[in-house]
Amino acid sequence: MPVIIVSSDLYRTGRDIAESAAGVLGYDLVGREILGKIAEKYGLPEAKLTQALDEGPSFLRRSSKLRHRYLAYIQEGTLFELRKGNVVCQGLAAHLYVLGVSHVLRVRILSDTEKRAGDLAAERNISPNKAKRLLDREKKSHQRWSMEAFQLDETDPSHYDLVISLSQIDSTEAVKIIRETASYPRFKPMTYSLHCMEDLVLSSRVKALLWERFPGIRVRADRGTLVIETAALKREKDKKAKAIKELAGKIPGVEYVEVHVVNHIFRPGPRSFR
Amino acid sequence: MAIITISRGSYSKGKEVAEKVADRLGYQCLSRDVILEASDLYHIPEIKLVKAIHDAPSVLDRLSGGKRAYIAYYKSALTRLVRTDNIVYHGLAGHLLLKGVPHVLKVRIIADLADRVRNEMKQENISEQEARSMILKDDQERRKWTLSLYGADPWDSALYDLVIHVQKFTISNAVDFVCEAAGLEQFRTTGEAHRKMNDLALASRVKAALVGFNPDVAVTCEYGNVLVFVANPERTTRKLREKVKSLGDEIRGVNNIEVHSGTALPPDVI
Repeated sequence: MPVIIVSSDLYRTGRDIAESAAGVLGYDLVGREILGKIAEKYGLPEAKLTQALDEGPSFLRRSSKLRHRYLAYIQEGTLFELRKGNVVCQGLAAHLYVLGVSHVLRVRILSDTEKRAGDLAAERNISPNKAKRLLDREKKSHQRWSMEAFQLDETDPSHYDLVISLSQIDSTEAVKIIRETASYPRFKPMTYSLHCMEDLVLSSRVKALLWERFPGIRVRADRGTLVIETAALKREKDKKAKAIKELAGKIPGVEYVEVHVVNHIFRPGPRSFR
Repeated sequence: MAIITISRGSYSKGKEVAEKVADRLGYQCLSRDVILEASDLYHIPEIKLVKAIHDAPSVLDRLSGGKRAYIAYYKSALTRLVRTDNIVYHGLAGHLLLKGVPHVLKVRIIADLADRVRNEMKQENISEQEARSMILKDDQERRKWTLSLYGADPWDSALYDLVIHVQKFTISNAVDFVCEAAGLEQFRTTGEAHRKMNDLALASRVKAALVGFNPDVAVTCEYGNVLVFVANPERTTRKLREKVKSLGDEIRGVNNIEVHSGTALPPDVI
């Protein structure tokens, strides 16, 4: 039951590859269709979730707190789908939070920049150089987004098992490479990797449920044991720890909760252990 | 059939991948051979050339253009060697030095820092701290080198056709990927691809011959017709013009050679 995560510099390119890969492997595709379900679960407009995935941080970062809340919901919803296995996931930034699970194959697909610049130049009636500058700006904005949202640079190849550029290699070949790679024994789930996935699912669920009341919490799960880190003023330390313990303890699958309160009022609340 | 360039950081197992790919495909594996060829062709001590192409250019290098001369010699030697095809090259910036040649499969092999440190500790018998600092220094030097000479970051995946992370993958898996990609139609040597490679080799050879006269000289070649560009007309010395003229007779394959000064450079210029 391998899990394949496809990331791309261009949503449409990634989507096409993910669809084809899911088709040839007979896997389910987990894409932005699940955002509707997540939005319904948390009582939000779906557009807010899409916006949280697409828009870079604002200059004053005013919207940062809300964005992280929405991303916590997306993370929870996505991981719930991924635990089933035999899935291809795309467009939900899963490559930035599904880390440390050996049966997950992470692939990045890079679109043909020259072709994209040419298409953009023709579409907007601008020079190819200007089109390249626009694409570069777009790339940097998304890079900033990933840094702000998950403290990871999504353009860094070390976050992927494989990066395929479509400048020379065509998409059919890229799909073939993904299909063959998914059959490698390395991507077969093992008891340990399944546990790692379950831990991620649980920590994301806890984070999503507690985030609104305790923004900035960091959650780590290990076989039912939770370690939650939060920041608080000295005088409300005990009260906060108790409230978190009480709420988290009620979540199904949680056996033990440990809360670490960071006593530093100026330190921004850490976000996630990932 | 194809030219494969394998870019790698130190102790990233890229060398093993390159050797195994060459072995499986029956290709020639090149790395240090290019330095020996350049040293032989341009009569430069090997050690001087190694230092010049390894270390990032200093401020003085940038002003004097000394480093650019060594790169021109290296590029000339590399293009001369890979012209014959069926080559796996794992050395300095092959993906940038052979830019514009269609049948070049550009691969980068990466490994986790912790694994690289472990490999270096084992091979060099040094402490973890020493190994880590040497690897980071080497990476930084490579980054500075490529950024200053080509304005590109070697860590940018867009420069390669394939980036393979040898963590979950074994060396054998990486070899499979590279061999399979090398067999694709896009990387077959067509007549046009061969012509482009020959033009690049000619332009590189001309540049290497002229860089001593003017480090800012730029060269392009199409169908054996070589254009030499000098940005500043005042720097177009008589000696350079004479040398350009003589090159037309000296280098086989040059149909025509001209000097242009003060004109805009075409995009494929080297």
